Amino acid sequence: MNGPLPGPDFDAQNYARPNQNWTCGHACEGAPCRLGPDDKGRCRATAECKPLLETKPGETKGRWRCTRPGGACEAGPLPDGSCCRPISKCSPRPTLRLIRGRLTLATVVFSVATLLIVLGHGAWRNRFINPGPVSLAHSGAAFAALALTNHLNQNCGACHAAGNSGPNGMLHASLHANPGIFDIKGLVLAKTAEPNAIDEACEKCHVAKNFHQANAAPISCSFCHAEHHGKVMASTTDLNCDFCHADSAKMAVSRSTPVIHHFAEDHPEFRFISEKMCDADTLKFNHALHLTGTTIPKLPGGEKLDCAFCHRPDSAGAFMRPVQFEQHCRVCHSLQFDPETPQLMLPHGSAEFVSAYLRSLPKQYLDLGAKEDPATANAFAERKLAGLRSQFGSGEQLERRVFFSTATYGPQAQIGSLSGNTRAIFPGCVYCHEVKESPTGTPQITKPLIPERWLSHAKFNHAKHANISCEQCHDAVHSRETVDIILPAKETCEACHSPRGGVANSCAECHTFHNTREVRNVQ
Amino acid sequence: MAALQTILERPQRWDVAFDPNMDDAAVDRLLATAPFSSMQADKFPKRTPLREILRNDARILRFRKGEIIVRQGDYGTSAFLILNGAARVVLKPDLPPALLGRRATGKKGIWRTLAQIWNGWRPPESISNERLTPDAGLGARQDEAEVRVFLQDLPRVLDQHRTEQMKSGDFFGEIAALSRMPRTSTIFADSDDAELLEIRWQGLRDLMKYDDALRSHINQIYKERALASYLRATPIFQHLDKAQLDRVAEAVEFATFGDYDWSGEYKRLAQAGSVRPEKEPVIINEGDYPNGIVLLRAGFARVCQKAGGGERTLNYIGAGQIFGLAEIAHNWRAKDKPIDYQYSLRAIGYTHLLIIPTRVMEEVVLPSMPKSELPSLVESPQKTDDLPPPESVARDKIGGEVLEFLTENRFFNGTATMVIDLDRCTRCDDCVRACASTHDNNPRFLRHGPSAGRLMIANACMHCADPVCMIGCPTGAIHRESFAGQVVINPATCIGCKSCFNNCPYDAIRMVEVRDEAGEFLVDQESKPITKATKCDLCVENWGGPACQRACPHGALTRMNLNNLDALTRWLKK
Amino acid sequence: MIRFRRQFIIGMLALVAATIGVLWLHCKFHRLLPDYSFLTGWGLFASMLVLTFYNARKKLSFLPLGNSELWLQIHIYLGFFTVVLFAVHLNFRLPQGWFDWILATLFALVSASGVVGLFLSRFLPRRLATRGGEVLFEKIPALRHALRDEAEELSVGPDAKSPVVGEFYTRRLASFLSAPQNTWRHLVESRRFLNALLAEVEDLRRTGSESERTALDKLAVLIRQKDTLDYHRALQLALKIWLFVHIPLTYGLLIFTAAHIVFVFGFSGGAR
Repeated sequence: MNGPLPGPDFDAQNYARPNQNWTCGHACEGAPCRLGPDDKGRCRATAECKPLLETKPGETKGRWRCTRPGGACEAGPLPDGSCCRPISKCSPRPTLRLIRGRLTLATVVFSVATLLIVLGHGAWRNRFINPGPVSLAHSGAAFAALALTNHLNQNCGACHAAGNSGPNGMLHASLHANPGIFDIKGLVLAKTAEPNAIDEACEKCHVAKNFHQANAAPISCSFCHAEHHGKVMASTTDLNCDFCHADSAKMAVSRSTPVIHHFAEDHPEFRFISEKMCDADTLKFNHALHLTGTTIPKLPGGEKLDCAFCHRPDSAGAFMRPVQFEQHCRVCHSLQFDPETPQLMLPHGSAEFVSAYLRSLPKQYLDLGAKEDPATANAFAERKLAGLRSQFGSGEQLERRVFFSTATYGPQAQIGSLSGNTRAIFPGCVYCHEVKESPTGTPQITKPLIPERWLSHAKFNHAKHANISCEQCHDAVHSRETVDIILPAKETCEACHSPRGGVANSCAECHTFHNTREVRNVQ
Repeated sequence: MAALQTILERPQRWDVAFDPNMDDAAVDRLLATAPFSSMQADKFPKRTPLREILRNDARILRFRKGEIIVRQGDYGTSAFLILNGAARVVLKPDLPPALLGRRATGKKGIWRTLAQIWNGWRPPESISNERLTPDAGLGARQDEAEVRVFLQDLPRVLDQHRTEQMKSGDFFGEIAALSRMPRTSTIFADSDDAELLEIRWQGLRDLMKYDDALRSHINQIYKERALASYLRATPIFQHLDKAQLDRVAEAVEFATFGDYDWSGEYKRLAQAGSVRPEKEPVIINEGDYPNGIVLLRAGFARVCQKAGGGERTLNYIGAGQIFGLAEIAHNWRAKDKPIDYQYSLRAIGYTHLLIIPTRVMEEVVLPSMPKSELPSLVESPQKTDDLPPPESVARDKIGGEVLEFLTENRFFNGTATMVIDLDRCTRCDDCVRACASTHDNNPRFLRHGPSAGRLMIANACMHCADPVCMIGCPTGAIHRESFAGQVVINPATCIGCKSCFNNCPYDAIRMVEVRDEAGEFLVDQESKPITKATKCDLCVENWGGPACQRACPHGALTRMNLNNLDALTRWLKK
Repeated sequence: MIRFRRQFIIGMLALVAATIGVLWLHCKFHRLLPDYSFLTGWGLFASMLVLTFYNARKKLSFLPLGNSELWLQIHIYLGFFTVVLFAVHLNFRLPQGWFDWILATLFALVSASGVVGLFLSRFLPRRLATRGGEVLFEKIPALRHALRDEAEELSVGPDAKSPVVGEFYTRRLASFLSAPQNTWRHLVESRRFLNALLAEVEDLRRTGSESERTALDKLAVLIRQKDTLDYHRALQLALKIWLFVHIPLTYGLLIFTAAHIVFVFGFSGGAR
């Protein structure tokens, strides 16, 4: 025993067997039995020898002989043939390798058991496998109630077919997925944004698939709206829109939409400018005159006429209410036809009413006179009517003047052989409106067509732009013609809505993908 | 620690007679038979008289018809003289391996290999009936103390193989006995009264030494049968034509040094710690006049140099290598500055060598060699301590400690020594498990053994170039798979006699108590457990070569040929 | 170390090239292909299966399936690459949700234990070889037993005469020699315990008689041998124990990965 370790150096008689799973319990004392444990770890030692019955010729019973390998023992076998020296059984010890094998088996069993237990339990299952928080809109009591009314599972199963059941159902769903588990080719060749099975679930609650373009290929909901990414669903990005709009092949089909990547980059000029569109409205209006003209009177309060007097925002503040004659125009354009009786104003809105009013002038004058001085009412009325007759000749003439006088000339007349415009006495309907002769009675006034929305494919919110004055976007001050569409060009918007301008400039700021009621023209 | 000494009685040559039953009557009978009758007893020295040689180094064997005397491919240590009766030599074709006690092992078929996947647990050392049954055609009988193996279907053997009969007075087996080469053919007894004299090599050597007739006879046979083809294959004789080769063959002397039974004595002496280079027989002494080159035919020799009071090992050389060429070539070219042998050559264990005298070298061989192949002139014939001699390159490359370790333990004998790099070995036992998986769940080596520095030689059969284990197997169970191939044991014919187990100097063979497939020990009629010799078989039956080497994940284990140091040098540098 | 350096260079080059390749592919395709993470997932799974197959190859040594050394090199470098694949598959984000966290943790533990094992396998054998001595792990209990018996014989056996030595043995050595000691200390190469114990022996030796000194010298040898035995046991155990983490967790990971595959396909857009 002189070396660094105690001897013996190595065993010259027996092999070491690290491939066995069990070692004899006596090995730690240095004296393992030569039998060794079996593969189940049971000690196989019984006795030191297996006695042999030797019958010499002539003997009937014979003798038992000790057959111990190391040499016979003195006592010899017992009379019944068993060895007199039994070996006490050891408790075989598992080797490290066996322990490791058992640990592996235990880990596998534990994993499988955990998975089956957790997945089998409805409430735990969802929380366990959820790969990310679901948006608030799709969780909570309200969603659960909605799901119930639509006959959907209230949890994962609301959207995922696999979420309706336990492990069996998940397995079934995974085996029937498209592309399937082993369909590598399908996975590689899958097209982006193709509608899939989950979209059917979305459509149970959301009526969303009336896409903005009839010939646009259907797009999967989850392409733009990704769930499991937080309490608030992430908003769409330009990349989503670019999927089609930056694709020249797709845009070639659309015939009218060019390739667009980003607003600031290559959004085309607004069509009304690029196509030099005109406001085809029949109502004549000169913004420049009204805003800057020196002849424009001040408003009743004393202030100058400005944009805000006629254009008032609606309750939401997003868009402007339609301009109403009675509210906004009559303040100055009172429609009086007689300076002496300015209280007599023609009604607005219907040519028949105007015609009827004019025919009822005698009564109007009478009522007016009666208001001031009932005794002289009759005389007043007669005097006025006589004056009208002398001025215009007839009621029809007056009516004609009312309808067809501009500020500079009156209606056409035929005096003897002369025909031409008469002199303007007051501006008539035609001053602002398009009035057409009707062969049978009341002239027709073309109803002005003022669209509620000019840019129907975009949304705009004036309230959000309250920190900008009207003139910065709407160049009304320089608009003299009715045909002018007084809307800003793209560069006006881009001044702020661009990376350099610093304001949000994604497509979704102004455009929505889904055709919803707000953006459709409503009469 | 005080130097302890163990005093051993020096073993004497004839402490153990070859056959204790050789009595005077038998010796007298021999002395009356040729060739002993013509030997002159007074030529033999007093220490080894002819009578005693015959009594102690020879024995008379009796064979019945069909019993095998020697097997082709076996290593043997004896020569035979037919005294009575006849024997037959099998010429062509050789007997099939099954008849020689060997198993014709091929590689396991693909199905058997794959079926191992479903191998369940097996009891240790359980062996199937199939492997226990010897191949047909061979029988064994116990004849007094010896086991004799006989050919069962002799007429068919005679029919299918060309044989030649040898009669009384014929001598055979002497070349194998002296040169440590495997037997070239199988010889079996051809009559029921065949009586052979078996002379072991010690006796044969002495007889040759002191009897001219026998010596020249054996030399003649040797030169005729073995030498010419061997010389033709030696590189330095490549450029000689037939006439020149004959001249060389004429002049060649062959000699044997050392102890043929070196394993037994070595083991004893090694355990007593008394193996030193200085004690080994000297073939050539440093400083001697170079009178010839030494061509090593079998065995190993150590190249040493005097250092301090002892000898320092510089290298060892094995079969086929040459010693002394540099000095003789130098003397031939620089005749004015002759030099002596620069190093000593000592036999390790047993060596059989050829000596080609200087005269023949200078007249015939050296002129025929092209200038490029001649060794360069020896620079400094005087030894100076600061100039390292060229031979020490080996020592520098692998380190003196390792070199001494290998040489002292005789590990260079191995052609497939299991070398483990302890710096890389994680002691994971994958190698042992792989060995077990290819051998029915039984490992065939121990991952432990002597070590030097970071090198450990594990206790696995090294498949020696000089397999001492193969000497003396009575049934031919231990054999070489192919010429110079792996040494394997056929469990069907192994009788558990422990000859190989006792012979192996490295304890590479283990006797195991075999069991049946239920795990019960197999016992004979007297309830003694049946043992079989087992050892590493270099995975002869398996695809891919030694499983241990293939299974080591860290490149720490390799089966290496240590007959020369090239492989080891490369491996140490990895 | 030419061969090992060559292995290292080839492996690292392959790893770096593969990493760069996979990162480039990621940048190119991760927005283009809608089912991209399914594809990286399959790549990751295939990689894990190849890594796990090394375990099978070790059990199938009788089949010519290739060198274990080559397999280990592939295992190591592929293992590192799998970590890269894992990061790519997760799109360089942290997982969310219970199940995904467990899966990622299992993967991290398996990879980390593998790296730890790699370092242990490269550094501990050298320390074992330097310490000297060599012992088979299974034989350690028997050797320890023999050591203790010898020490007991020496100190409190029938021939032992010194009460001092006997008392020292009973008080200090009996517990030291009967079980493996100082496992953690040996892992950090601390010699403090051994030095302290030997100092005690030296102390006794100074005041002891001739026979006591002889006995104590022998005991000191035995103490050193026991310490070396413990050292070998500690390091060899470390070389085996790391696999107790690496292998069972691998199979746990594979189970969870199989479940993960079922989930992602079952809950994918295309599942009905």
